[in-house]
Amino acid sequence: MNCPSQPAAIPNSGPPRLFAAYQPLPKIYDESVGTQGIRPHWKAFASAFEKLGLDELNARWENGRKVIREHGVTYNVYGDPQGMDRPWELDTVPLLISSDEWRSIEEGLVQRARLINLVLQDIYGPQQLLRSGLIPPALIFANPAFLRPCHGIKVPDNWYVHLHACDLARSPDGKWWILADRTQAPSGTGYALENRIVLSRILPEEFRDCNVQRLARFFSFQREALNRLAPRHRQNPNIVLLTPGPHNETYFEHAYLASYLGFTLVEGGDLTVRDRTVYLKTLEGLQRVDVILRRVDDTFCDPLELRNDSFLGVPGLLDSVRAGNVTVSNALGSSLMESSAFLAFLPTLCQHLLGEELKIPSVATWWCGQAEEQKYVLQNLDKIVVKPAFGGVLRFPFFGRNLALQDREDLVDAITARPFEYVGQEQVAFSTAPAWAQNELEPRGVVVRAYVSVGQDSCSVMPGGLARISSRSGDPVVSMQRGGGSKDIWVLSDNPVEQLTLLLPSGQPIGAVRNAAELPSRVADNLFWLGRYAERLENALRLMRCVITRLSDESVSHGQNEFTVILQMLVILERIPRRLVGRVAYKELEHELMQLVYSSTRPGAIRELVLRMRQIASTVRDRFSADTWRILNQLQLDSRSRPGRLPLANALALINTSIIDLAAFSGMEMENMTRGHGWRFLDLGRRLERASNLAETCRAAFMADRTPSPVLWPLLEIADSTMTYRRRYFAQVQLQPVLDLLLADQGNPRSLVFQIHALKSHLANLPKPSLSRTGSESEGKPILPLKEPSCAAIEILTKQFLEQRREPLYAFLKEIETELSSLSDHLTASYFSLSLPRMN
Amino acid sequence: MLYRLSHVTSYEYYEPVSISHHALRLQPRQFSFQECRAHQITLDPAPSSEHFFTDYHGNHVATVTIESAHRQLTIRSAGVMEIFPRQRVQPLETPAWEQVRDLSRGGQLGAALEASEFLFDSHYIRTGDDFADYAKTSFTKGRPILDAALELTARIYKEFTFDPKVTTIATPLGEVLQKRRGVCQDFAHLQIACLRSLGLAARYVSGYIETIPPPGKSKLAGADASHAWVSIFCHGYGWIDLDPTNNLIPSTQHITVALGRDYADVSPVRGVIVGSGEHELKVAVDMEPIADDARPSESRPSQ
Repeated sequence: MNCPSQPAAIPNSGPPRLFAAYQPLPKIYDESVGTQGIRPHWKAFASAFEKLGLDELNARWENGRKVIREHGVTYNVYGDPQGMDRPWELDTVPLLISSDEWRSIEEGLVQRARLINLVLQDIYGPQQLLRSGLIPPALIFANPAFLRPCHGIKVPDNWYVHLHACDLARSPDGKWWILADRTQAPSGTGYALENRIVLSRILPEEFRDCNVQRLARFFSFQREALNRLAPRHRQNPNIVLLTPGPHNETYFEHAYLASYLGFTLVEGGDLTVRDRTVYLKTLEGLQRVDVILRRVDDTFCDPLELRNDSFLGVPGLLDSVRAGNVTVSNALGSSLMESSAFLAFLPTLCQHLLGEELKIPSVATWWCGQAEEQKYVLQNLDKIVVKPAFGGVLRFPFFGRNLALQDREDLVDAITARPFEYVGQEQVAFSTAPAWAQNELEPRGVVVRAYVSVGQDSCSVMPGGLARISSRSGDPVVSMQRGGGSKDIWVLSDNPVEQLTLLLPSGQPIGAVRNAAELPSRVADNLFWLGRYAERLENALRLMRCVITRLSDESVSHGQNEFTVILQMLVILERIPRRLVGRVAYKELEHELMQLVYSSTRPGAIRELVLRMRQIASTVRDRFSADTWRILNQLQLDSRSRPGRLPLANALALINTSIIDLAAFSGMEMENMTRGHGWRFLDLGRRLERASNLAETCRAAFMADRTPSPVLWPLLEIADSTMTYRRRYFAQVQLQPVLDLLLADQGNPRSLVFQIHALKSHLANLPKPSLSRTGSESEGKPILPLKEPSCAAIEILTKQFLEQRREPLYAFLKEIETELSSLSDHLTASYFSLSLPRMN
Repeated sequence: MLYRLSHVTSYEYYEPVSISHHALRLQPRQFSFQECRAHQITLDPAPSSEHFFTDYHGNHVATVTIESAHRQLTIRSAGVMEIFPRQRVQPLETPAWEQVRDLSRGGQLGAALEASEFLFDSHYIRTGDDFADYAKTSFTKGRPILDAALELTARIYKEFTFDPKVTTIATPLGEVLQKRRGVCQDFAHLQIACLRSLGLAARYVSGYIETIPPPGKSKLAGADASHAWVSIFCHGYGWIDLDPTNNLIPSTQHITVALGRDYADVSPVRGVIVGSGEHELKVAVDMEPIADDARPSESRPSQ
């Protein structure tokens, strides 16, 4: 790589001269520096930036990274096991664009949005462009993105693309070119917003002094435009954001935008079509949906009429669009215009449809579906990038000159066999912009993604957008999938910028209208299981702590008897194999216990539970505050450590930290979550799991120890009730008071009866169930028939146990476990959407 | 010819299904050579909603939803069709196949534009050299297109064995070509792949053939379920149907229900259900002449 290796400025002698030392690449346009030195619109920023000094800049860069981690801004990389939840990369240096230049970009984008819409109108309508020969048939008919079922469907105002995005790059002569159009579900507006929030926080003065145009208006325009898309112009339309789910590369953004714009985040399974109308399955029944802002690709949206192997869509969706009962934004079928082959035809189409030249040209593109163009591409493979003509997002471009001889021949054969599936494109030398690289600035290739939101009679271009930079300074490919970073774009204003707060854009307040009833059943389901896993994790942590302290810490002189009994308990709980009790190699036992802490695959191991909990949490992350999310992140980070040379001590440290992290999570949940149905289901899960763990642990304990004094103290530890016990009964551990405290004491928040009371109160407050296993209206609310363990009952059970009649106690506990498990099944059947649609 | 038509599809579900959505392409189309006198679709249980539209290729579609829990579903399509003999084309009078191929490239006028829909790969059909090679034995230099196509039809009929046990709708066409076995769906897909691999427009036709053979004739293959065949485009002549499963040019024994690029465009019953269990499927088709018309004299396949 030809990175400039010249040392940057020397600290301690005035502000570092970062921009003076910055060396752009030869023959390439640089955004900040030209032949005359720093470009005029960068001057104010450059000097303010340098004034901060190296230490401060590094500190702010670090701070920016911290904010991103804390906000949980992530990006998933496909095909990489470590790629889920990769932290978002944001550079400290923004990309500055002058107001004059931006105005011409704006005009170009608006023209492009109009043009693309006219083409879609025609192709999904009369197809005059095909008849008149302006578009060759193969461009449409061989194109998998042309969705025949969408042909002839009326869309509101005959407009298809409500949010249009273009990827722009600047060539060495300083002109902007459009590399690609994103027309079905453009990603990045949420990341652009988050970039702005982070950067304006770490460079607040620079941001203010540069008169940077604000983004908020764009989002309120977009929201208003979506409101107006509601069929029959319904007032206060119900708008949902349809996501493919947490595994999608930009899931963070879906959750983020949903909560920012005040829409309900839904997955395909949350929606159902009845009588050609789309409904959201909520806890309180079906709720009509008017507009679907979708982040699911065209072909995946409806398994009935589009791809039948899709689990992401809604069966019958297209038919409800056809009936005019719901609007999908962008309209189904609009991915057609993402085909790079269209770039070759846009100049002619623009002349024909708008009577104008394209204001921003597209990168030179030759579609091999035409004989002349195919010949040109094959003859100029060295100079040309070959790309799929029709989408194929995950296939990489081929750089002719980089190919080995055999690969090159294969490529030529492939083009000759199916010419219309390929385009050749000119290799554009992207402009560079300075990026922060620890103590100096380094030139990186930059691509700008810009957005136009189209309303009923006007458009709004986001003043800024998402700039993506190459991962190394010489890399020609700019791609988030390949590890590049991003920049905030500062579009400068000639005048001071009106103060607008991002979180409450002018016009209507955002996000104030969400109805508490709109809790999708899936979300309730996930919250319920999140509660269960949080509690299951806590139980596992306390159980493992109880074992490991006794194995490692000689000062805890509880004796061998107690340790053996605990191991017996682990066997009964099916955590360890029976052979490990008794005469056993210490190392083997230690290994087994470490597995129960660190294994990410063994069911019930601590790491495994943390990952599951985190995975469930990520499906409902729009329901959590940034602080709660930060705690969950911390929990995952803390559970990542390794046994090292002191396995027991390290495991113990991990367990202790995790218990505290979990306590913080519970605290957030108790103090910060609105007491709606969402919270109720989370707490239901937690109470149910705690009660069931307690019953199971007690049963295992008294089966392991029939005397039963050695097991009592560990049991109190696992149930987190040692303090209470000491207070009440001093140190004397006896069966009856222990059982009483754990099972029947209404004042002990860890006791069984306490959980049962909480469960009953939640059940009484649940809405009437809307779902049932058979699909018919359900029988009614689930009830908990369980008798509450009373002091009297405990007394009898104790007496029997001490008289060697142990079965009644076991049976009593087993019955509780069974009751709780059927309550869980009942809740699932009554409230959660059980099954996904599948093909018949 | 007047036919009574009945097509019954029944599903038995092992677990109750709470909702089902189906798109039905069961109502036969109108053409100069066939008229739909009456047609009706009935469902048991009755659907909570039912709507009709005409799809991109001109097929009749009914979308139905059943919202009450059900363990079985029966879809009955019944109708009366009148079929007229089609115009016969003299194979040797048709243009050379290369000429048709060259006209198809970039053809944008009227029927030619419509035909160019059917030149390219589709869901179940991906063209390739293996199909082109198989076809080229018949498509020799300068040979009239229909003459060549009829020979291809005859070769598929002779060289492939009708065998319902070896393939499913998911079997790749390459495997059908290799194993030389399949059902009418496979043969239709295969012949389309061959024609498209040569640059010729070919489409998939779904329909029915007469169930009970005339006295002294054996039953045609594919009569127990819905049938499929192909249609090839020739400038100046339009679309000409070919039935590779029976080696004949469809006439008064075939009823056309729907047209498309391949099976995916025309599947008679396509559904998505919400439920958890497996299901069992039964299909029964009947196409019987109901008036004792004089049969048009035409050559019949010997089986």
